[in-house]
Amino acid sequence: MTKIIAPALIVCALVTASVALSQSFGVKLGATKGPQQPIEFSHRIHAGVNQMDCLYCHSSAANSPWANIPAVSQCMGCHTVVATDKPEIVKLTDYWTRGEQVPWVKVHKVPDHVKFNHKRHVRAGIECQTCHGPVETMDRVYQYSSLKMGWCVTCHRQNLDNPTHPASMDCLVCHH
Amino acid sequence: MSDSVVFERREFLKLVGVGVAGTAAGCAAPEAEKLIPYLVAPTDVMPGVPYFHATTCRECPAGCGAVVRTREGRAIKLEGNPNHPLGQGGLCARGQAGLQGLYDPDRIKTPLQKDGSGWKAITWDEAIALVAGKLGEAKGRSLLLTGHETGTVRSFAGEFAAAVGARHVMWEPFGYEVLRAANRATFGLDAVPHLDLAAARCVIAFGADFLETFGSPVAQARGFAAMRAKRDDGAGHFIAVEPRLSTTAASADEWVAPKPGTEYALALGLAHVICNENLGTAGAERAAVKAAVAAYTPDAVAQQTEVPADTIVRLARLFAKSGPSLAIAGGVATQGTQGTALAAAVNLLNHAAGNTNRTVRFDRTLDLSGLASFAQLVREFEGMAAGQVDVLLVSGTNPVYATPAWSGASEAMAKVPFKVALATAKDETAEACDLILPMSHALESFGDAWSARGVYSLQQPAMKRLPMFDSRSFGDALMAIGKQAGVGANWPESFHDVLRARWQTLHARFGKGRDFDTFWMESLRDGGVFEDVSAAPVRFTASYPFAASERQGDGPLALLVTASNNFYDGRGANRPWLQELPDMTSKTVWGSWVEIHPETAATLGVKQGDPVKLETSAGSVEAPAYLYAGIRKDTVALALGQGHTSYGRYAKGRGVNALALLPQATDAAAGALAYQGANVKASRGAKAMDLYEQQAEKNQHGRKIAQIVPVAALLGGAAAGHGEAAAHGEAAAHGEAKGHGDAAAHGSSGGHDAHYPGHYPAGEHVHDQHPSMSRPGQYTEPLARPEGWQPPAHAITAFEPELKVRHPKHEPVREGSYKNAKHRWAMAIDLNACTGCGSCVVACYAENNIPVVGPELMRRGREMAWIRIDRFEEKVAPGASDVRFVPMMCQHCGDAPCEMVCPVYATYHNPEGLNAQVYNRCVGTRYCSNNCPYKVRAFNWFEYSAPEKTTFAFPEPLNWQLNPDVTVRSKGVMEKCTMCIQRILEGKGHAKDENREVRDGEIQTACAQSCPAQAITFGDLADPESAVHLKSFGERKYWVFQELNTKPGVTYLQKVTRDTMSGGPA
Repeated sequence: MTKIIAPALIVCALVTASVALSQSFGVKLGATKGPQQPIEFSHRIHAGVNQMDCLYCHSSAANSPWANIPAVSQCMGCHTVVATDKPEIVKLTDYWTRGEQVPWVKVHKVPDHVKFNHKRHVRAGIECQTCHGPVETMDRVYQYSSLKMGWCVTCHRQNLDNPTHPASMDCLVCHH
Repeated sequence: MSDSVVFERREFLKLVGVGVAGTAAGCAAPEAEKLIPYLVAPTDVMPGVPYFHATTCRECPAGCGAVVRTREGRAIKLEGNPNHPLGQGGLCARGQAGLQGLYDPDRIKTPLQKDGSGWKAITWDEAIALVAGKLGEAKGRSLLLTGHETGTVRSFAGEFAAAVGARHVMWEPFGYEVLRAANRATFGLDAVPHLDLAAARCVIAFGADFLETFGSPVAQARGFAAMRAKRDDGAGHFIAVEPRLSTTAASADEWVAPKPGTEYALALGLAHVICNENLGTAGAERAAVKAAVAAYTPDAVAQQTEVPADTIVRLARLFAKSGPSLAIAGGVATQGTQGTALAAAVNLLNHAAGNTNRTVRFDRTLDLSGLASFAQLVREFEGMAAGQVDVLLVSGTNPVYATPAWSGASEAMAKVPFKVALATAKDETAEACDLILPMSHALESFGDAWSARGVYSLQQPAMKRLPMFDSRSFGDALMAIGKQAGVGANWPESFHDVLRARWQTLHARFGKGRDFDTFWMESLRDGGVFEDVSAAPVRFTASYPFAASERQGDGPLALLVTASNNFYDGRGANRPWLQELPDMTSKTVWGSWVEIHPETAATLGVKQGDPVKLETSAGSVEAPAYLYAGIRKDTVALALGQGHTSYGRYAKGRGVNALALLPQATDAAAGALAYQGANVKASRGAKAMDLYEQQAEKNQHGRKIAQIVPVAALLGGAAAGHGEAAAHGEAAAHGEAKGHGDAAAHGSSGGHDAHYPGHYPAGEHVHDQHPSMSRPGQYTEPLARPEGWQPPAHAITAFEPELKVRHPKHEPVREGSYKNAKHRWAMAIDLNACTGCGSCVVACYAENNIPVVGPELMRRGREMAWIRIDRFEEKVAPGASDVRFVPMMCQHCGDAPCEMVCPVYATYHNPEGLNAQVYNRCVGTRYCSNNCPYKVRAFNWFEYSAPEKTTFAFPEPLNWQLNPDVTVRSKGVMEKCTMCIQRILEGKGHAKDENREVRDGEIQTACAQSCPAQAITFGDLADPESAVHLKSFGERKYWVFQELNTKPGVTYLQKVTRDTMSGGPA
């Protein structure tokens, strides 16, 4: 019985493992880092080449615990006139004319039991790049930091005595 | 064999392990999560930030002001509107549960047409065309039956009815027929007055459940708390006169239990004594009152009511001397065959004592004009049965459920050829209709409520209509029907326009120079327009023909049908929070129960939980027995609200409908349904059934969990006559001390050796009985402060932040942000204000995503509530009464027993004094719960948040209500009160944004916010100016189980008891 099942299990294991590996490494490794997005939006062009401020699009990061993804209308604010013939912009325009939201793929994710507050960090003067990495160089955004608790705590520990914005080591600050 | 690969067992397991891991990872790897942006972002909405909308609660006719907290376009919490004259910031349990009406998983999704025995979904256009066509054919033979409506909703319903040739009838099960009839008789005024409890110095309630369902319970609870806080001269007595000690009466100092149906005679007896002895402030026309009550001598009344004559004389003197006082009649318990007589008798009593126009005020009267009486409703049913109605439209009322069978509602509806229900849920009346039009919930639609004079309250949508329900607001539905029927050509586009047009008249009066749009927006922001109103003094016009009456039917026991604090008339029964909220008298959940005196039960051979069969001439029901000493031996009580045969998964088939027992009887003078007045036979029932008790033990076994203090002791002993005024006076002064220095000075200055009413140190000098106590019950002697006493560490933390010592023998903890901690969050709970209404419990369920577990798990003690209200019965018998309610939640102990036993540091003490629980760290050993002396921790035995589980507590769209700031816990995790840490962080964030300190009162926990009586105060103990500091270090303070030295962050204030036996204040 074992002999019959075993080869089948090996195949199954290899297939599923490879799927799982490719999925999990898809974020961090591979030729192009980060997941493929419905539109190949380039942060390098916007934030790097064109020097746009991060908060121009992600404005709520400074005013809300949550950072926002700009509304499609905001993209179209420029792209009704800028680079309208580029294939990716055509895709964007199609979404807009169809009245459909762009289903961006989430790159940064923390579990439900973590309540991260963007506003507090931005207002404490922490650069977006500190956590998100050199987004202005990324054509496709990938997860730069581990976002694991140890990573958060390292920074918090270093800033316990920060004169203007002392960090908290209290669990409740994020876990509630 | 040799060709095939042969594995060693170990290798095989390895590979299988990989395979399983791979499979698991493959399966578990979720589909890439999507971030969906707005297509066009609203200009004034930011994700992650709450927005608040003022509106009006429509859960009962009271119409309290409410504020809806919304997140990402969803209403997630209902709170009281502090600017609203009704409610003044509080909101009751039923009001809070309004959210579960909005997100009711059994809400009607589309218009439904009856198709044989089932229902068929149709479109709105088809439905509107159908109704309009039928209305046209009916040619005026149609009826629009609604619940109580006021303001524009009522005027438009009337306009619609007139236009389509229908009659508009409004009916409420808890109408105020008897009060209105009595006021017509005695004052010549068809009105329900505003009861100024705050101004009263003594209250006698004749069965009126004014803290539960009668009148404006939230506003009355606030007034009551003010009345009970008053103790300049020891006044503030509350006496309950009713055959059963209700939840409202549980707060009373004395319970008088007259024979059911004779309460009116008792009121007249009191008036007789007052007039005869010429007591108190004489109202005008006292001579007329005196003549009217001449026959009701104490002896005659004593014989009729079975209340001793000396009690009558004593209460009359107390009532008259404590002017202005207030006698209250009203509510379901008042509404019997003698209902109008009782209300009129209470009017006479109030007038004799000079209370009319003082505490019984006809300025902010409730608007009940146009409300049909029960008798009128029955006449409508007779008309319908006689075939006089061709089309019936029903909205906001459920007569098939809420009237006894003999009223003929079902038969009458069967005779109406075409019946339309405009409803949110498929209740019994909707089931009996031919067409159901799904209504939008009040939180999704525009409207208004002018429920009291001078209160013009607006109702606005807090969110877009829920997409899964193809609903329309009542006004818009009527408008569409009317337009289809070819009437209302001059009606505007939507009901919103009608509302605005009607508010033009208010703009003319209250616009104060603003243009209409500004006025409108500001009214929406404030929740409405409120004006101060006054009224001409009311005069006593005539007495009422009082006469004793026979009780109806055979049977040795009197039947008492009570209103439900949780379900009102039954409309709250499909709200799971309200089903899980224990009834505060029996502490049972999810069902019905029969309250019966233990001695009576013994004669029937019935024990707690045994089935009891109640039989009247009208019918019989069976429900489990709840043995209750707080009911007369010749009376049994059954609450309304359960026994639904439809209405949704949470309501259907639970308990029994008490209306089935009511014989055919009305109060003739008022045309009111006689809820009271029937006799009943009780016997042991046949079928075993379950009594779901949340708190079976109501004796605190001397543990001093709920403590009291006689008012005399607080008054410096003068009133009690035991010469301790000086010591108490100083103690009171100490209570006001603003800092540690003062406190220490007081502590070491001597002179407090015996009577310092502090609660430190633990376990010393505690006496069981105060010698001056003139009544039973437990009173903890104020603790002595020994020589060289120092406040405990927790108090030092509060007073002097630089001495931050959690454990006195150890170095201050320098780890983490302890050195930066500025606050010590704490709570003070005033047991003298708490009435056990349960508002805080429901508020906590809503705020903290607490799952509802259902009856079976509740009975097994697996309740998930983070705050509960314990009821302790010290003395429940006619005479001096002592029932204590204790809101109990995590005490956030300074030395917490739970923290020291957690093996994984999942529960720990945070720098700001909170006992924290980290869900992701918890491994579920439950040691913490075992070690918690307060039993306030709840363990997730089951997966309440997984849709595939039977225990799933948030079926779509109930999950829309979940607070995104609070983690939804999963199986195997311990949880408990966090003092709303999410609100603390939000408040601190606001302060940081504005570069200032947190203001006192700025952060409120959900329970503190909702409390109608303001019994809960939350704040920063380290701020010596804060309200919570002043209360926690003021008089009456104590800690529950202080002998355990847990140093709780929750300080209780003793309930103040008042002695009615000695005749009250001099």
